[in-house]
Amino acid sequence: MLAVRGLAKRWPGGALLFDDLDLEVAPGEFVAIVGESGAGKSTLLNALAGLDRADSGSIVIAGTPVDALDEDALARWRRAHVGFVFQQFHLLPYLTVGENVALPLLLNGVPSAARAARAAQLLARMGLAGREDRKPGTLSGGEMQRVAIARAVAHKPRLVLADEPTGNLDEANAGEALALLRDAVKSEGAAGLLVTHSETAAAVADRVLRLAGRRLAPA
Amino acid sequence: MNVALAATLLSGSLAGNRWRSGLAVACIALGVALAGAVHTLHASALDEIDRAARTLGGEADLQARGPRNGFDDAAFVAVAKLPEVAAASPVVELDVVAVPPGSGGGRQSAEGRATVKLLGIDPFRAARLQPGFLTEASGERAEGSPSYLDTDIAFLTPAAAKRLGVGVNGSFALRGPRGEVKLRVGGLLPALEGGGPVVVVDIAHAQQAFDRLGLIHRIDVRLAAGVPRDRALAAIQAALPPGVRLERPDDGASRTAGLTRAYRVNLTALALMALFTGGFLVFSTLALAAARRRQEFALLRALGLTAGGLRGFLALEGALLGLAGAAAGTLLGLAASLAMLERFGPDLGAGFFSGSAGTFSPDLLALAAVGFAGIATAATAAFAVTRAFDRLDVAQALKDRHLDLPAAPGGWAAPAAAAALASLAAFVPAAGEIPVGGYLAIVLALGAAVLAVVPATRVLLSRARAEESPLLVLATAQVRSLPGHLAAMVSGIVVSVALTSAMAIMVFSFRVSLDGWLYGVLGADFFARASPNGDAVVFDEPLQSRLAQVPGAERIDPIRYDRLNLAGHSHPLTVMARPVTEKLLAGFQVDPPAIPPKGEAMNAWMSEAAADLFGWKAGDEIQLPFAGRPARLRIAGTYRDYARTWGAILVDLEDWRRHTGDRLANDVAIVADRSADAKALAKALARIVEKVPGAELHDAAYSHNRALEIFDRTFAATYALEAAAVLIALAGVTSSFAALAWSRRREFGVLRHLGLTRREVLRLLAFEGAAAGGVGVALGLAAGAAVSVVLVRVVNRQSFHWGMEIHWPWLALLALAGAVVLLCALGAAAAGRAAVAREAVDAVKDDA
Ligand SMILES: Nc1ncnc2c1ncn2[C@@H]1O[C@H](COP(=O)(O)OP(=O)(O)OP(=O)(O)O)[C@@H](O)[C@H]1O
Ligand SMILES: [Mg+2]
Repeated sequence: MLAVRGLAKRWPGGALLFDDLDLEVAPGEFVAIVGESGAGKSTLLNALAGLDRADSGSIVIAGTPVDALDEDALARWRRAHVGFVFQQFHLLPYLTVGENVALPLLLNGVPSAARAARAAQLLARMGLAGREDRKPGTLSGGEMQRVAIARAVAHKPRLVLADEPTGNLDEANAGEALALLRDAVKSEGAAGLLVTHSETAAAVADRVLRLAGRRLAPA
Repeated sequence: MNVALAATLLSGSLAGNRWRSGLAVACIALGVALAGAVHTLHASALDEIDRAARTLGGEADLQARGPRNGFDDAAFVAVAKLPEVAAASPVVELDVVAVPPGSGGGRQSAEGRATVKLLGIDPFRAARLQPGFLTEASGERAEGSPSYLDTDIAFLTPAAAKRLGVGVNGSFALRGPRGEVKLRVGGLLPALEGGGPVVVVDIAHAQQAFDRLGLIHRIDVRLAAGVPRDRALAAIQAALPPGVRLERPDDGASRTAGLTRAYRVNLTALALMALFTGGFLVFSTLALAAARRRQEFALLRALGLTAGGLRGFLALEGALLGLAGAAAGTLLGLAASLAMLERFGPDLGAGFFSGSAGTFSPDLLALAAVGFAGIATAATAAFAVTRAFDRLDVAQALKDRHLDLPAAPGGWAAPAAAAALASLAAFVPAAGEIPVGGYLAIVLALGAAVLAVVPATRVLLSRARAEESPLLVLATAQVRSLPGHLAAMVSGIVVSVALTSAMAIMVFSFRVSLDGWLYGVLGADFFARASPNGDAVVFDEPLQSRLAQVPGAERIDPIRYDRLNLAGHSHPLTVMARPVTEKLLAGFQVDPPAIPPKGEAMNAWMSEAAADLFGWKAGDEIQLPFAGRPARLRIAGTYRDYARTWGAILVDLEDWRRHTGDRLANDVAIVADRSADAKALAKALARIVEKVPGAELHDAAYSHNRALEIFDRTFAATYALEAAAVLIALAGVTSSFAALAWSRRREFGVLRHLGLTRREVLRLLAFEGAAAGGVGVALGLAAGAAVSVVLVRVVNRQSFHWGMEIHWPWLALLALAGAVVLLCALGAAAAGRAAVAREAVDAVKDDA
């Protein structure tokens, strides 16, 4: 599903973050990446999503060489195949909870009835049944993150990227959200990449990799 | 809230809002400047008239004033003999046109003419009331020094000398009915400087040279000491013929207040528009600033600042913006009115003041009131923002980083109530000259439209739900949820579109009505006017018959005017006497359009203004003093007169001549034979008209075009100011969009994560701009239609006394709507450029 070969990245004027980095993730696999602050975890995730460019190396996702696409093509590809979960949730305040979940479907041109059905189904799975018409501002932090997780998998992406999705949640909420994220990724047959600081969070993953010394190595 | 804290907060907010604050201040300044300038011009006009009247009247307690065409000078003898009268002075008063030096009496354009007031006085009697009429030279006939007794000698006020371009001993000529009246300057009358451009000659010479034998226009009177005023008034009035009324020398001022009306109504409405738009810019500026600093405010609240303290700060900010706008606007208004006075005179070039430079007399109290209105507008806007902040949930604001004002609640109840009040206000009668009810209705209608923004946005955009295009769905969702400052922007659009469209509808309705009316009233082929400026020259009967006998002229209609001063009314009444036919009545849009059979009383038709000002109704029988004799008239109907804002009455020429014996004509309308060669006819007519100095001959097309030209010129300034106000408003809207887009850059970052390209995000913003603009335009046009009805039916009717039909300038409105929506879309997209320039990755982690 995800195959990264010989990836290298250096910020202008900064140190070399990673060099000749390889990573392979299978469909339905949920992988956690840990590492010290500043190691380059977020940078790696952004490169995989095509939001940042690596200096060299190749990224192939579901057979598509992502690094060869131009910006617009990348955006369209991301729209169809990538889901995100952010530490700050980033729900759109003027859309309802249901609309937020269905946002990727909307962007992909799914008709509204199908969108609503899918949003309701996902929200129910997240334990938020019946909250479709609320505005995000009225939810708790844990609830918001569950909505964000539902949004990340709504359009059945090949790759779900989560950068410290539980950084803003307490232990109990964090554990629940991660479990939901893993289940959602697995049930949709996607590849999941979770970046986290927390060892307990990493425990939900099938595999834990550590980014250190410019390479990824099993933790 | 202490001063140091307020200053710190203020510097933070103004620094981040320089552009928007500037635009808001500019808009308020524009409104204040317009209102201030209009009022200053008006006050200056009144002051000018007042001063002239007082200067020329001297110590006169009273003036007996007759119709424009004069009254029998026997009345003077009767008044002068009364024991109640200490001094009386007869006056002939004419507006005359100077023959330009070296023109040889030929014809020239209307623009090149100098008009002056000609006073014919009895020098010794006049001097008892106003010693300024006498110079050292003019009193006695010393060796070689000129006096009033020389028939070719005139004494000039310095203003008249300047206008005529002559000095002492210089010669000049005035146009009289029988050719040039040549005069020499015997001396200047510096004491009468305040009287304007006045040429003073001996009364007998004036009567003789201008064919007014036995006629005077005015008697100035000083009462004997110790006589009860009431008794004196009664005694004098009894000695006067009908149609001559006693008034105080400065009474004329109120009558002439109508002169500035033409621009006052327009520009006041425009000022209202600028103030309103400014108010919304202040609101949106403060709202955005406050939204941007919502977390900061929440933090301050958490640290112990009270809600009242926060409100106080926001109100202070608004008041400061208002103060800046009011100060700048007042200065601008004073400068503009001074410049306009110097260039055009207090009537803005309409010709009433015949080009006197005018005194600059600003009314400080009124200016302060206008400035206060500017500050109050800004403070009200600020108050609206503070009300939103009362709903601020501190904990929520600290937790979420969603940058917005708490959304305004809104149902249909408030706008419906405002609309109902507006329709009630429209029926409130005018207070004096000012259509208070009309303006109140306009303000309420705008208020209703603004209150309707929230519910209407919901209704209008709920239809867009079915749309499947992701960008459209997102854009309508954003606009439909209508965060507080988007509501402010939409309100700004509503107000400026409403007022612009209302003005456009009013002006268009007026123009179409005027055009149609001109077609009707210019029912002849040629028009000869004896005195295009002034009133000193008329067509006598022999000349009228010569015109009638020109081959190719099927018929001529002599038209005779007089202007009556009716006791108990402050407005003059114009009498128009001309042959009345059914066709003429149709042209004047008379209601009912039929000529009733001749009865004992002569048939008369009143203008709409006469109906309003004199309270007459069709079927009434009234008595008017025609040429010093009471005439009985039956009001047969109402006619439309766009040429006069004061009252006028139309009677048949035959009736007039039979009653008065006056067979003169001011104008002659000539109807050509169908088969006549127009060119040859025009030439033949011109040869006759040329004989009368200063008279003009024009064809109907010329008169028609000239009337429309003057109309367009009058409104040109209106269009320009309107465009300026709309542009400022749109600039404000765009800058608000920019701030809004900037505050949403994290949201755009998320959308780009989700797979939108930069271009798509900009398109999303353009759709939002278009949606906001569309809602604003829809509500604005609706409110504009309502406001235009108020302008046409209430404000115009009460200030001009003109009825007209509403005509919709569809094309212009469509263009306005399209332009506003387009500009909103472009503005929003342009504003978003900076917000999406950042990397999506940075944007989502951005803490700001
Ligand atoms: N836009 C940028 N320009 C220059 N340097 C950057 C940029 N973004 C990140 N860096 C640097 O790259 C390094 C890696 O950053 P990155 O955000 O990937 O770390 P991280 O592993 O996600 O850390 P954390 O666990 O704290 O989130 C850091 O030293 C950071 O300062
Ligand atoms: Mg990171």
